[in-house]
Amino acid sequence: MCGIFGVTGDSSTTELLIRGLKRMEYRGYDSSGICLVNGKKLIRKRAVGPLSNLEPLVEDLPESECGIAHTRWATHGAPTKENAHPHFSTDSKIAVVHNGIIENEVELKKKIKSLDEGIKFESETDSELVAHLLSIELKNSEIDIKIAKEEDILSCWKSVLDKLEGSFALAVVINGRKDFILFARKFAPLIISHDGERGILASDVSCVVGLTENVFYLNEGDWGILTNSEAQIFNVDGDLVEAEPKKLEWELGEAELGGYPTFMLKEIYEQPRVVRDCLRGRLSREKIKGFSIPFNPRLLRIVGCGTAYNAGLLARYYIEQLSKIPVILDHAHEFRYGAPSGPKSLVIGISQSGETADTLAAIEAAQERGYPTLGIVNVESSTIARNVDSLLGIRAGPEIGVASTKAFTGQVLGGLLVAMKLGQLSKTFHREDLSYFDRHARMLPTSMERMLNDQNIKTKLWEAQQYFVGKNHAFFLGRNTSYPIALEGALKLKEISYIHAEGYAGGELKHGPLALVEEGTPIVVIASEGSSHKKLLGNAREVASRGAKVIFITHQEDELAESHADLVIKVPRTHDLLQPLLYNIICQLLSLNIAEERGCNVDRPRNLAKSVTVE
Amino acid sequence: MQAIILAGGRGKRLGGLTDSRSKVMLPVAGKPMLEWLLNELEQTKIKDVVIVYYYAGERILTHFGSGRKFDLNITFSKQESDRGTVGSLISGHSFIENDDRVLILNGDNIVDSKSINSLLKVKGNGLIVSEHNTPYNFGVVELRGSVVKSITEKPDKNQIRSRIVSTGVWLLNKDVFEKIKLDFEEGQTELSTSISKQIKDGLKIETVRTNNWHDVDHPWDLNTLNRYLLKKTERNISKDAEIADFSTIEGDVHIGKGTIIHTGCVIQGPVHIGDDCEIGPLAVITGSTSISSGCRIGPYTRIRSSLIMRDVQIDSNCSIHHSIIGPATSLKSNVEVDASTVDKIVRNTHYHIRRLGLVTGEACMLEQGVVCAPGTMLGSQVYVSRRINLEGEHDTGSKVIGGT
Repeated sequence: MCGIFGVTGDSSTTELLIRGLKRMEYRGYDSSGICLVNGKKLIRKRAVGPLSNLEPLVEDLPESECGIAHTRWATHGAPTKENAHPHFSTDSKIAVVHNGIIENEVELKKKIKSLDEGIKFESETDSELVAHLLSIELKNSEIDIKIAKEEDILSCWKSVLDKLEGSFALAVVINGRKDFILFARKFAPLIISHDGERGILASDVSCVVGLTENVFYLNEGDWGILTNSEAQIFNVDGDLVEAEPKKLEWELGEAELGGYPTFMLKEIYEQPRVVRDCLRGRLSREKIKGFSIPFNPRLLRIVGCGTAYNAGLLARYYIEQLSKIPVILDHAHEFRYGAPSGPKSLVIGISQSGETADTLAAIEAAQERGYPTLGIVNVESSTIARNVDSLLGIRAGPEIGVASTKAFTGQVLGGLLVAMKLGQLSKTFHREDLSYFDRHARMLPTSMERMLNDQNIKTKLWEAQQYFVGKNHAFFLGRNTSYPIALEGALKLKEISYIHAEGYAGGELKHGPLALVEEGTPIVVIASEGSSHKKLLGNAREVASRGAKVIFITHQEDELAESHADLVIKVPRTHDLLQPLLYNIICQLLSLNIAEERGCNVDRPRNLAKSVTVE
Repeated sequence: MQAIILAGGRGKRLGGLTDSRSKVMLPVAGKPMLEWLLNELEQTKIKDVVIVYYYAGERILTHFGSGRKFDLNITFSKQESDRGTVGSLISGHSFIENDDRVLILNGDNIVDSKSINSLLKVKGNGLIVSEHNTPYNFGVVELRGSVVKSITEKPDKNQIRSRIVSTGVWLLNKDVFEKIKLDFEEGQTELSTSISKQIKDGLKIETVRTNNWHDVDHPWDLNTLNRYLLKKTERNISKDAEIADFSTIEGDVHIGKGTIIHTGCVIQGPVHIGDDCEIGPLAVITGSTSISSGCRIGPYTRIRSSLIMRDVQIDSNCSIHHSIIGPATSLKSNVEVDASTVDKIVRNTHYHIRRLGLVTGEACMLEQGVVCAPGTMLGSQVYVSRRINLEGEHDTGSKVIGGT
């Protein structure tokens, strides 16, 4: 998603802006730009494509102490230079960067035209109108911008904000005023930091790691001004907010490659640590602790999008199996506009960033109906994390690769912890079950480490990869707890290798998808537990007999798979409930290998953004 | 000046312990060997370090990242293939710029900063040497004064002329380095052989003697190194650890954050216990024992002079000593380990080990009441059923179900 970044009070502004943009690259973007406040006029540079297209343009810019920058992921208007931010007012005296969507764009554009016919819209974006609105406000207030007091400018800024509907994180600079940046946020992420000399604003914590240690997290509707000496934050009612800065949770190294060729590979290899961290202090032989369930429900609802939805599906199996409480799973966007009915239920929102617009909106919709909420979130300072009644942080650390890997593992473990806790509350999951689970959970990180370094698995993965050469579509099959892994496996392959892949439940095969199987179609079958495993072996045979190339992912103690597949990849045996996590790592590595073989950029797949902060 | 640390090798003779991590990443006295070595380097004037990795290298990258925990600039270089010490040196070499000398170290050895500092004072080329009881396993160095006269790699036992061996810590001029590269292109893959040739041609190498060099070749060397490194442990009990009443903690004991020590435990230093462990009640842990993070030690269990790696679970009433327990291994209740003098023959060399109990690889499972004879060695994922009297060596993945 679009990222915004701004600096004031630092003489090496250009360098910092570029550095900030680089840190935001992972969010996904198709154009970028910066604007510096300097002397007579605003200096603006914009470029389509990677940051390396922008960098040569900013090399010899004069020094400045104030500037804003933007990476754009096109929603309104194609990725062109005209549509790239920052956007100017018609007199080129105001520059704005924006992340979000202004929903009353059409009305506002009409209004602007009626107020001042001289205003020309240069781009197809909704963002540009913010600059025009502010320009009109300043003109109407008849203040001289060059010498105007901050409070006068702020009152103009507030009346602009009052006109905007939709979602936004905004930063604005004004010609001749290198002493401040105006900002605002509503339903889009923005953080602020100020150390008394230098002020920074950014869409994302990972942009400021290493630059500052303390940040202010803004609430919905907060707005204000970042001057050379302080940050003034106001709430939606216009009252000054006495915000306490929070210490950053992450260290610099965590957001860097540290010797790895890609973030995705780094993050795959971090999963043993994620398991340890996520379960630390929460799992013991006697009880599940360290987080609370705000309400003992008779019905649960889980919402999420993409990978988080797949993790939610697995959580649904866990919860229904261990606690016997029925679960309704929804894509967050479907939940939000649906009309959930039935008894009061606990709503669990799953999101890596905690800023996913749809999941956030679903949580808010649930709260409006009076449902208690629980968040399974990675970024514990995020909006969702702060808005839910109870939080279960998955402690995966910064996830930079756009295709989610380690966060999925953490989300699944989060779901499992909730399931076990509910199972204990409803007395369907007993102490001996927990003690048995605990022993295996402690061994899980080592099992992951073993498989990540298993030469035999590496060779098998290479062989499996050959099945995908020259292929345009593939299937992933699973049943029961391996069905979500099939969905997630297919999603990963789609996201980073651009091969069309679908995940199906094995039982669904004959109801349609079988028609698509032809000679050489690669099909990844992911083993399940118990009686459904035999059914899955049957499915493998069905597709194999129609010419498919079957890759079967199972555990070491499974002796049946070989006779049903062209290639069998075996991972260490662990507890039934944890086994899907090991299969998933194989799918992650397989997708990574295939994508790299095809020359794709696995960390920044085309058209995709890391945290989807627009609907 | 830059240091190159060779950390590409697996450490095959350590069996299952190096299944998913290389030797340099084995935890000893609370941290990987390579980290101990980096800590020593921090106390020298070396600021730039290149770590050359190969086997299970991702673990090295994940652990050391961008070097943020250290007072050193660490970069990583992947060895192109498993092609000996010179191969790794060449992989690391492209990072050296305009430096007239380079320090070369092995990641699986530990040498103290004092010796490294003495070496750095040498003018020209230098080598750290040490006395050793089994010199025939190393490069034996003959000296003339303090200058190297010859180096003989792993000589015949009967032709030993000196007990002085090379520690593999070299300080080399760039021209020597260039010649090693040329030799490599002609097929010479051993560093010391290439240098030996240069010595014959008149190359002068000054030596520095050390008494603080530790090499790990076989599992039992880990216990020796653990004992040595634990001497550096200072009493340090984390504020975030929970220590129950009526527990006795004496001497130099490190207890990490989140660790719970239940009531009635006795812990006698030097002992290192990592983070998030759970010990007791009434467990007894004594002398020269390291327990890595995430371990669980059950009631009435006694552990002495042992190295317990990550996520190990030892249930109630076990007795473990002089043992090395690999990560995620699980010992059910009443497992007993006997330790005594052990004689082992590895590749025609006889080793006399003063005391050795059980050695396990990764993720083994010993059921209740297993009794292990001294010197029992297991690969990884070995399963041993109830009340077996276990002895000898068992390969990775084997199941011991009947009597042995």
